[in-house]
Amino acid sequence: MFFLMVSLLTNKFVQERSATLPTLFMIGVVVIGLFSVIFILYTNSFLIKRRKKEIGLYGILGLEKKHIAKILFFESLFSSLLSIVAGLLTGLLFGRLAFMLLNFMLRMPDDIEYSTSLVSAGATIALFTLIFGLTYLYNVSQFTFANPIKLLKGKQEGEKEPKGSLILFILSLILLGWGYGISITIPDPLAAIEKFFLAVLLVIIGTYLLFISGSIFILKALKNNKRIYYRPGAFISISGMLYRMKQNAVGLANICILASMVIIAVSTTITINLGSAETLENQYPYEHNVRLFGDMDNVEEMNTRFFEVQDEVIALTEENGLDVAEMESYRSESFFGNLVDGRFVFKQNLLGDDSPILMMAIPLEDFNGMTGDNYTLEEDEALFYHSTKTYTEGELAIGNKNYKLTEIENEFSADMEFTESIALVVPDVSHLLDIRDDFMKEFTESNHITIDAEIGLDVEGTEEQKEQLVNRLNSEYNGGSDSFSLYQSRENQREEWYSINGGFLFLGIFLGLLFTIGTLLITYFKQVSEGFDDREKFQIMQKVGLDEDMIKESTRSQIVWMFLLPIVIATIHVSFAYPIVRKLLLIFGVTNDMTWLMTFIAVVIAFAAIYWMIYRVTSKVYYSIVK
Amino acid sequence: MTLLEIKNLKKIYTARFSNQQTEALAAVNFSVEEGELVSIMGESGSGKTTLLNIISTLDDATSGEVYLDGNPLSKIKNKEISAFRRNTLGFVFQDFNLLDNFTIKDNILLPLVLSKTPLAEMESRLMPIVRNLGIESHIDKFPYEVSGGQKQRVAVARALITQPKIILADEPTGALDSKASQNLMEILGGINESGQTILMVTHSTRAASFSKRVLFIRDGAVYHEIYRGDQSADEFMDRISDSLKVLSSRGERDE
Repeated sequence: MFFLMVSLLTNKFVQERSATLPTLFMIGVVVIGLFSVIFILYTNSFLIKRRKKEIGLYGILGLEKKHIAKILFFESLFSSLLSIVAGLLTGLLFGRLAFMLLNFMLRMPDDIEYSTSLVSAGATIALFTLIFGLTYLYNVSQFTFANPIKLLKGKQEGEKEPKGSLILFILSLILLGWGYGISITIPDPLAAIEKFFLAVLLVIIGTYLLFISGSIFILKALKNNKRIYYRPGAFISISGMLYRMKQNAVGLANICILASMVIIAVSTTITINLGSAETLENQYPYEHNVRLFGDMDNVEEMNTRFFEVQDEVIALTEENGLDVAEMESYRSESFFGNLVDGRFVFKQNLLGDDSPILMMAIPLEDFNGMTGDNYTLEEDEALFYHSTKTYTEGELAIGNKNYKLTEIENEFSADMEFTESIALVVPDVSHLLDIRDDFMKEFTESNHITIDAEIGLDVEGTEEQKEQLVNRLNSEYNGGSDSFSLYQSRENQREEWYSINGGFLFLGIFLGLLFTIGTLLITYFKQVSEGFDDREKFQIMQKVGLDEDMIKESTRSQIVWMFLLPIVIATIHVSFAYPIVRKLLLIFGVTNDMTWLMTFIAVVIAFAAIYWMIYRVTSKVYYSIVK
Repeated sequence: MTLLEIKNLKKIYTARFSNQQTEALAAVNFSVEEGELVSIMGESGSGKTTLLNIISTLDDATSGEVYLDGNPLSKIKNKEISAFRRNTLGFVFQDFNLLDNFTIKDNILLPLVLSKTPLAEMESRLMPIVRNLGIESHIDKFPYEVSGGQKQRVAVARALITQPKIILADEPTGALDSKASQNLMEILGGINESGQTILMVTHSTRAASFSKRVLFIRDGAVYHEIYRGDQSADEFMDRISDSLKVLSSRGERDE
């Protein structure tokens, strides 16, 4: 019990530490907190059941309930004090060790500091004091409401065969369906962040209920199927599991949830890390990227500056002895609005109830130059791309113009998938200015809408020359002299990305490790406690003629439950989490589904293998206890 | 015909960490005929339970041999021993040894399930037995829901269902009140009437009085035996009591 808390506490620490990161880790804190409550109560109820006899004896020997309550109070006081202190210390030590090890293994550019704060320690102490308080009250109530004779027999008294509650079962399905539904129907990443927590919570509660009620249903159904039930292995294991299904269900649900967490945490972070190169390419399509921001007071200035800067950049490149390998540049204008009856209605900004659509307008010449296509457009025609592809009308009105639309694929940026977006390729730059005028008429105060430009280029040459160019471009276009431009070099960004993503990978693996340890402990504890419970049963059965092969067979048939069920359900959970996680991954710029699918499968298999090993070892322990 | 024959059975327990030896059985010789109901009586520590454990193959003898149907038990291979126990022996224990997680029906069927008996046969064997024992209305209940007497009848049903050659009963009335004991012994008597061989270890003269023959065991050896013959149960009980009295008083005199 003590050990378990140690790991949980450590967990808590990490969580608290990373709570400065996004809400994602806040979820972690809550989940771990919830989990430790359930786990300690589960452990406690088991331990106290074994001690009933002892307490009953005290009662018979003349101790009053008052005294017993006192004994229990001091016992729990000392044990909780000891566990909290030892837990904090071990948490500190283990946390540092693990961080050191992982830092070493991952060879991170900057080591991640393992920091502890008084706040996190305080929160941990508060939580566990509360939990121990709860268990104490539960224990006292157990003994206060029972007479000594009952207590003496308490251990033999079987749990009543649980009645599978249909309501609970349906409720669990509803909760799961709701959680899954959130994940599947999530429209965009921003909504995903908000709803992720709710979905996780729903699925966790749903899982517990499903295991508690669903497993009883399945077991009862199996029991009623005489052909299956009346075989030695099934006979022993099914009835055994029905007998203490409540404990069993909670244990299995714990394992299942932990398994889901391991899989999601590890696979997403690995994906983020593997996808880093791709992410960089998405974010920075070229080695050198110059972004020009339009001047509010003189919008048309961009039309000349755009070409000037291109020439300047090329000149600078050649000055440094490099050749331009590829170059891409375009002007664009971005603004928000909503699609209403074939018209794009402007909105001033992002605020408002309905999330507006981001529209990016690009002149045709830049689009053709960028993609190498050869589109031609009449004055009232436009190329159209819509990220959700829900707008299917042939025409679209913007301001005082009406365009006939030709649909095209996303040739622009992966960011377009981020939120609902539209790209509109208009015949020439004058259209951008017209749209801007229309927009300004509606919102005279607005100062957001300008024509911007992007210039990206790859160069060929020696590393040294490239570095010089980076420095040169940096001083030329970043901040300083001209505040209307921004320069970013992919090389410079790369390091930053790797350190951030490395951090995520690190946290993912760390969490994965902790959850795996949690799984290990639960499985071990479950097997050992059931082993002691079943020992007598198996001895009786041996007397009436159960041989060792059959004991093996019956433990083997438990594998289906113990091993496959949590893994399968965890896999289902994760599959349903896929849409929402995918959306979340978009935030990190990962767009390659295959990478994530592959890592996902790899992690599931790896976890199944680890769990299989855990299971093998613990079932050996079980077998040796029973025998 | 002799069903069970015990020859020169000897059992010595050796403490694990010393050479001190305890002789539980010195030299036991007796035999049981087919269709007999035999009781073994004796004081605590006289070796009754050890004897029963050896007959039921739960324990090994130090020397000597037990023959069932002429076959020596020590020659049974380890692998077959569970199947042998299941198919040829029936057990009734003092503390019932029913499994709380099975219904009464499943408890009774347990040995058959372990032998992988076809479902139809299980069902067909079950009904006559539970009807005979008067527990058919309880078969879907759990052991903790029925009384002690009913539990023991369930245990008897479980012993009977494999159609064993011999039923071994270890203090079957030990945990029952007198009425339930009476009832149980009548049932065992009835089963015996129908041809079932029963070997019973007991403390109770009342229980022993239902048997056809009583063996008295003391200090690991069969000391005395009496037959019921044509006597009524009550008369036989008096004789058993007398024998016990003689047995214990002579024992004291010996010392």
